[in-house]
Amino acid sequence: MSFIPGQPVTAVVQRIEIRKLRQGEHLILGFSIGGGIDQDPGQNPFSEDKSDKGIYVTRVTPEGPAEVAGLMMGDKVMQVNGWDMTMVTHDQARKRLTKKNEDVVRLLVTRKSLEQAVKHSMM
Amino acid sequence: MFCRNQTTRATIARGSALEMEIRRGKFRRSVFLDTLQDSNIQKKIDHEIRMRDGACKLLAACSQRDQALEASKSLLTCNIRIMAYMSELQRMKEAQVMQRVALRSSDAGPTDDRLPCKGKVAISDLRIPLMWKDTEYFKNKGELHRCAVFCLLQVGAEIHDTDMVIVDRTLTDICFDNTIVFSEASPGFELRVEMYSCCSEEDYSTGSTSRKLASKLSSSLGRSAGKKLRVAMDPGACSPISNGGGATLLLPLPTVVGPKYHLLAHTTLSLSHVQDSFRTHDLSISGNEECSHWVPLYGNVCCRLAAQPHCMTQQMMSGCLKVKFGGDPQSWTNVYGVLKGTNLFCYHRQEDVEANIEPAFTISINKKTRIRASEKDRHNKAQSICISNHYGGEEVTHTLSADSREDTHRWMEAFWQQFYDMSQWKQCCDDLMKIELPSPRKPTLVTSKQGSLYHEMVIDTSDDISTVTDILARRMEELELRSQLGTSPPWMSLFEESPGCPRTHNRLPHSPLRCPRPGLLSSEASLTSDSDSPCSTSPCSRYSGWAEPLSLSSPSSHFRPRTLSLDAKLSTLRGRGYGGVLQCSCQPPSSSSLAPIPAQCVPQATLSCSSSTSSNSSSEGSHSPELSDGTPFSRPSSARQSLRNLRAKLDPRNWLQSQV
Repeated sequence: MSFIPGQPVTAVVQRIEIRKLRQGEHLILGFSIGGGIDQDPGQNPFSEDKSDKGIYVTRVTPEGPAEVAGLMMGDKVMQVNGWDMTMVTHDQARKRLTKKNEDVVRLLVTRKSLEQAVKHSMM
Repeated sequence: MFCRNQTTRATIARGSALEMEIRRGKFRRSVFLDTLQDSNIQKKIDHEIRMRDGACKLLAACSQRDQALEASKSLLTCNIRIMAYMSELQRMKEAQVMQRVALRSSDAGPTDDRLPCKGKVAISDLRIPLMWKDTEYFKNKGELHRCAVFCLLQVGAEIHDTDMVIVDRTLTDICFDNTIVFSEASPGFELRVEMYSCCSEEDYSTGSTSRKLASKLSSSLGRSAGKKLRVAMDPGACSPISNGGGATLLLPLPTVVGPKYHLLAHTTLSLSHVQDSFRTHDLSISGNEECSHWVPLYGNVCCRLAAQPHCMTQQMMSGCLKVKFGGDPQSWTNVYGVLKGTNLFCYHRQEDVEANIEPAFTISINKKTRIRASEKDRHNKAQSICISNHYGGEEVTHTLSADSREDTHRWMEAFWQQFYDMSQWKQCCDDLMKIELPSPRKPTLVTSKQGSLYHEMVIDTSDDISTVTDILARRMEELELRSQLGTSPPWMSLFEESPGCPRTHNRLPHSPLRCPRPGLLSSEASLTSDSDSPCSTSPCSRYSGWAEPLSLSSPSSHFRPRTLSLDAKLSTLRGRGYGGVLQCSCQPPSSSSLAPIPAQCVPQATLSCSSSTSSNSSSEGSHSPELSDGTPFSRPSSARQSLRNLRAKLDPRNWLQSQV
């Protein structure tokens, strides 16, 4: 999951489709995100590379829509509904996830265990 | 034959037994007529009619959209095939009539027309690029408008269809992987490619009004089309053969309720388009954006159209020959010659041909070869044939002689035929083009979505961890023996705590021989997996797994509890690696059995996480719209929220986290 600036990023991703849950007037997904290009990457406990300014999932609400869909804490969000999330500010990321007119968000997330699983299965 | 103005002179008495026989179509007046072809086509028509009836019934009966689309596609294909066969039948009858008329009118001998050999024409790797507006493609806005698309390929009366592909705006091209081979095509073939599409969104169990309309339209069309056909097939006009079975063909087309395909684009390919590589051809598009079945086509189709004329693949002529090189008068060699493709292979003996031994020598017969028959040889009475070629600037002549005059004639005839074929098939005779026969269908890796780059490396959502554990478990099985030697892979430590845990207890009911998963073990980046049925439970089954205790030995337990424990393990490993702020102390129950329920595990984790984060909130300062521990979905009051927001956003030391 490390990236070299200027080089294309390749990652083993998992596609997660989350249906938003309506709570009163809010549509919630049930997780928290951290990170962003305007944030300090050194404080990210989930990232391997401490200069990674991507968006990470910091919490997943138990039995929330995100957990149901398979999202896990520590996942790095690569895309939301086709929008890139590797080079966005924190607020942009939040906005992309919380659009009021979208009921479903399709994320592409990556995590270390996926890569390892693939590596081990190919050994 | 019963009308006065008929050109035939024979008359049959009405009401006689002979007339009845003729009416029944069994009696053939003329011995020159080839009835075998007729009956073949008739059989094909009957077969297609039966298929059509079956498709109609299926269409009426099926409830799912996919089935309806497939059934509608077969219906359309059957209808088109029936039309093609009937017009072929008509053509054949007309040809017969013309032949008979010609025979009677003139005493011309057998015509000297040479017919070129037939060949195999194969079209493969059809790809039709699409032209979405960039707003549609990239932003993924609006509803996903989907269409079902397939192609029909027609040469003469032979019609093949491709598989159906569902197109939506995530695709950049429509690809048809089928290779379609037409076995008997003449060099003047016309391969008509038609693309049909149908919108796959509407509800087909429509209300009564539209059904009435549909039925009215289709029945009225059927009747008028039937009338036309009846007129065309009228036995009174030309042919003495009355089609006894013709009545059944002309019933009005059955009313069709269901998805209807419309012609979207077509093009015609011919010999000039044949090439051993991919080429792009233009499409004529019918329809515009307003149609429901519209798919934005770029206007081209790319495909590989290859042809193998029989003169290149089959032995056109073979026999014993005597060959003389150059001008040497006495050195005749006895060979067995085989004319195939652009070469005359000369083997020492006839048996060598089957034994695949290399020929003694090869004389090339191509466009530049010149062949002459000569009588010059005084030693033999038979004619001899001179073949001259240019090999690198030099003219090399071989002289062939056959045993008898008739043989020589036959060889000359074969050579002329070969030249004629080569002139007709043009570029196909330069080199033999490869045609890959469609192999028996392998279980292909079916990706749920084709197309765009972003979807290339995806693991199917419902199978993520279970697939991983499957792989791991399987590797463990394989390594069982190896581990006795002491070498165990590093990840074995994951399972050391709970020795029996991720073992395939759950798999005992299943056969130990599980089919390999080509998706996951392939070295390609795409990791789509076709999973065993137990694995592909929907994500909701995760919760069913939570409720029941994880029991190691019960074969009925779901996979999810097991995988959750693996998740817990993996997150433990990850957690141990933190020096960082968030102490994710979600260690799995440290007891060796996993009976302590995962249900406790993760809320524990969350609780500990949030407690630790709240304890650190002073230094981090920002868990702005974070959830409180109690009800997971309640939100803090808005005033506090906004104040926290502001403070958090303004403080550069914070690492913001937002609840979504």
